[in-house]
Amino acid sequence: MYLGLDVGGTHTDAVIIDKNGVIAQTKVVTTHHNLLECINHALQAVLKSIEPSHIKRVNLSTTLTTNAIIENKCEEVGVFVSGGPGINPLHHAIGNYFFLIDGQIDHRGTEITLLNNSQLEKAIKKCRKKDIRVFAVVSKFSTRNPVHEQYIAQKLPHADFISVGHTLSGNLNFPRRIATAYYNAAVWRLYNTFSHAIEESLRELGAIAPVNILKADGGTIPLPVSRTIPVESILSGPAASVIGTMALCNITHDAVMLDIGGTSCDIAMFADGAPLIEKDGIQLNGRNTLVRSLKTKSIGIGGDSAIQVEGISVTAGPRRLGMSMAEGGSNPTIIDALNVLGTIHFKDTSRSQEGLQALEKKHGIQAHEIAQQAITYALDIIYNEVMAMIDEVNSRPVYTIHEFLKGKVLKPKTIYLIGGPAKTLANNIAQRFGWNVIVPQHCEVANAIGAAVARTTVDIEVFADTQRCRLLVPNLNVNIRIPYDYTLDNAIDDATNYMMQYLESIGVDEREREIEILQAYSFNMVEGFETTGKNIRVHCQVKPGILHQCKDILKL
Amino acid sequence: MKAKHTLGVVFFPAFDWAIHPLHPEREERLLYTLDQLNEEGVFDIDGINQFKPDIASHDDIMRTHFCFPDVSKVTTESHLISAGGTIKAATLVMDKIVNKSFALVRPPGHHAMKVVHGARGFCNINIEAVMVEYIRENYPVKKIAIVDTDCHHGDGTQDIYWHDKDVLYISMHQDGRTLYPGTGAIHELGGPNALGTTINIPLPPNTSDEGFLMAMDRVVLPILKDFKPDLIINSAGQDNHYSDPITNMNFSALGYARLTQMLNADIAVLEGGYSIQGALPYVNLGITLAMAGLDYSYVHEPDYLQKDLTQEKEITKYIKKLCDQVMKRYEECKKPSFKLMPGNYDVRKKEIYYDTDNIREMQLESIMVCQECRGVLKIETTSTVNPLCLGIEIPLNACDRCQKEGYRLLDTALSGDRYKHVQLIDRRNKKYVLY
Repeated sequence: MYLGLDVGGTHTDAVIIDKNGVIAQTKVVTTHHNLLECINHALQAVLKSIEPSHIKRVNLSTTLTTNAIIENKCEEVGVFVSGGPGINPLHHAIGNYFFLIDGQIDHRGTEITLLNNSQLEKAIKKCRKKDIRVFAVVSKFSTRNPVHEQYIAQKLPHADFISVGHTLSGNLNFPRRIATAYYNAAVWRLYNTFSHAIEESLRELGAIAPVNILKADGGTIPLPVSRTIPVESILSGPAASVIGTMALCNITHDAVMLDIGGTSCDIAMFADGAPLIEKDGIQLNGRNTLVRSLKTKSIGIGGDSAIQVEGISVTAGPRRLGMSMAEGGSNPTIIDALNVLGTIHFKDTSRSQEGLQALEKKHGIQAHEIAQQAITYALDIIYNEVMAMIDEVNSRPVYTIHEFLKGKVLKPKTIYLIGGPAKTLANNIAQRFGWNVIVPQHCEVANAIGAAVARTTVDIEVFADTQRCRLLVPNLNVNIRIPYDYTLDNAIDDATNYMMQYLESIGVDEREREIEILQAYSFNMVEGFETTGKNIRVHCQVKPGILHQCKDILKL
Repeated sequence: MKAKHTLGVVFFPAFDWAIHPLHPEREERLLYTLDQLNEEGVFDIDGINQFKPDIASHDDIMRTHFCFPDVSKVTTESHLISAGGTIKAATLVMDKIVNKSFALVRPPGHHAMKVVHGARGFCNINIEAVMVEYIRENYPVKKIAIVDTDCHHGDGTQDIYWHDKDVLYISMHQDGRTLYPGTGAIHELGGPNALGTTINIPLPPNTSDEGFLMAMDRVVLPILKDFKPDLIINSAGQDNHYSDPITNMNFSALGYARLTQMLNADIAVLEGGYSIQGALPYVNLGITLAMAGLDYSYVHEPDYLQKDLTQEKEITKYIKKLCDQVMKRYEECKKPSFKLMPGNYDVRKKEIYYDTDNIREMQLESIMVCQECRGVLKIETTSTVNPLCLGIEIPLNACDRCQKEGYRLLDTALSGDRYKHVQLIDRRNKKYVLY
């Protein structure tokens, strides 16, 4: 039995799945001021007629860290940054205690100038005076050589927590590394308090299963691992829906997922059945991060999007002014328009009629016409956004002639539609796109299902420089010597082995250790007219997907 | 950070293509540049976006070049993508998707001349010229300036626009007496129909930032102001850098950025530059920031502070004098000259060596002296890889006389068997045919 719980903006959903499918599900209102409260409610409700000790795995997707960051309920962080020349690092300043320390490492990982010790000491002193307890330490090109980050970190023995840049991601991107390390430290204490409370709640309920946390890339990490990388828990909601859709449908081709809720519509894409991943990482609160995520886009169109008439133009969203009139709201919405058109017969259809007739009276356009135009408007927005996203994916830069000529082109012809109003809009969407539209069963709790069945994911970058006889796997903290005749094949083997060891160490089941090599390049390095070594880069992952045991139990 | 000018970067490093594994033009060339741009988060800056190149069609190439025996024999896909990268950069600006663009592509192109038998100076196809001709065919742009800041004289671009008064070609380079390809002296000023729209500034070895910026101030900017181009293109070679292995100049990343800001080009295209670790990452960062109108003052090379790049007084004096001479010659071009009567052909005999492919070419180039248009162009060419071939170009906005003359030349050529291949470029009717 697998328990999945997804804390959403409005509702918190929980499901329990076993070999017969979804055997329990619940939906409670999210209590933003105290997430523990709604989580406990949902857990109690869903476990009512289930023996908690039979649960094998608990997966949790929460908005805790996201909200803390958006609402600025973060702890003060001492941010120590060593940038060296380039874009002025002050542009990347974040938080109230941002310190620049002179020092430089270049793109090959060569230490050009040492860290400025006196600046560092001064910064540390200031933090101590202000009683700063958590830190983020980031240097430019630390994924090529972490020595500056390590040096600063060991100068902070009294810290409660230090978020070290290169351990968060192997990617290059100094500004994102700074923001990611900062957020990671800023939510660390809050997250850890919360995770202890969750574990306690589950224990009290009698559930002894290991707990995992859902990430924005649609994978999970074991809760104990997440304690040092809490930033990985941000913005996991859309990913939960994507994985849920994969669990409910047999997706093998290019496809689009639309998760239509009350206020918004999330769009995601599948290429040959695999969800597309954002190139660098997700954006939060206007800052780009290195937190890996699925490629999703949220637009302001949903079932409760308010209809607006101005002159002769009828629009809907992005505003939401409460529920539809059919449900007792006071402004006509997309749902009311569908009621008026007779597409659906949802709750109190007469109230929907009333709402649109009021608009008719005010603007001199027939209610039916307004309803039609509002739906057309909403569908056009969705259509245009989907097309723009496909276009964006297909025009992603490529760096080899091979990829340029033979690269994958996304051509979806199927839409998987989930979320509350999914069923009601299926026909309209099918018509607008001229594509096949599939609405899976349980689609209203696809998010919680996704959380329940998501497998653990990890991605690593391996960087080898045979001239310097160095191999680095930044986010696994590997930094070893390699022979000068080391090859790309060796690097691929090592990448696989390091990944295997890591997955084993965090308790990932053997069947879930499916490793995929995403990129493997080897460049001859030449100086003068002589080869001096190889510059090797391997990127591999366990790709987001469904737990083996859950693979086929829910499919249509 | 928000870019003052939105910038489209067409980045195509061709990580799977090299002339040969140890050649400067190899897979590794833009690797560290990409690392630097990624690490700096350049593509996250609001207003700077990365774009995928287009691929140039054979028509795009034949609109610009005479290729013998044909386009596919003298190009590979990498050349078509590199040229397509410049076309993408152009359409981004012309369609107003961005304010400015930078085609950071390889292989380069500025040594490729009007006639192509193979590769010279690492270039097969002149990617700037392919872009310029694409622009002129598809957009109502009349006057274009190309400012070439590569250390080597852009003899290919000069050759293509030698007779074109609507394209101003200015090259700043290391003096040809000290570096490949040897051309680019100050007396090279353009053909009889286009005198003064080719300008060369052959700088002495060891010119530093000071000298380059002086040439910008005293020659490039005044002539640009005079010419009033609708569009400015920068052939942004980066081998004037002090660390470049195959040249002898002392230009820095900061200097390149400053030059970029002064020039204020609409489109930049990467050309040479082979200090792939010590220069390119920083120069490309500097150019990108400068084009976007962002602060570049913190950009410099790791060893910049240890270097003394002050320019010797003698060199400064020499460059001052050089600038005066170039301006004097430029002014002289404005005076009317009657070397040849309109309606006659002006003939040049050229011997061209293709160093990269080891080909020798002999050319007889005839241009119709014309006051109405650029003049019909006829090139007879033979090389160590091709028997005698003929290229005929009826220029853009050709006058009726030159148009008629072009077809007369074609008829004569096709009625005999003197030429193995004949290529016609008819810009008036957009016809590009190989016979």
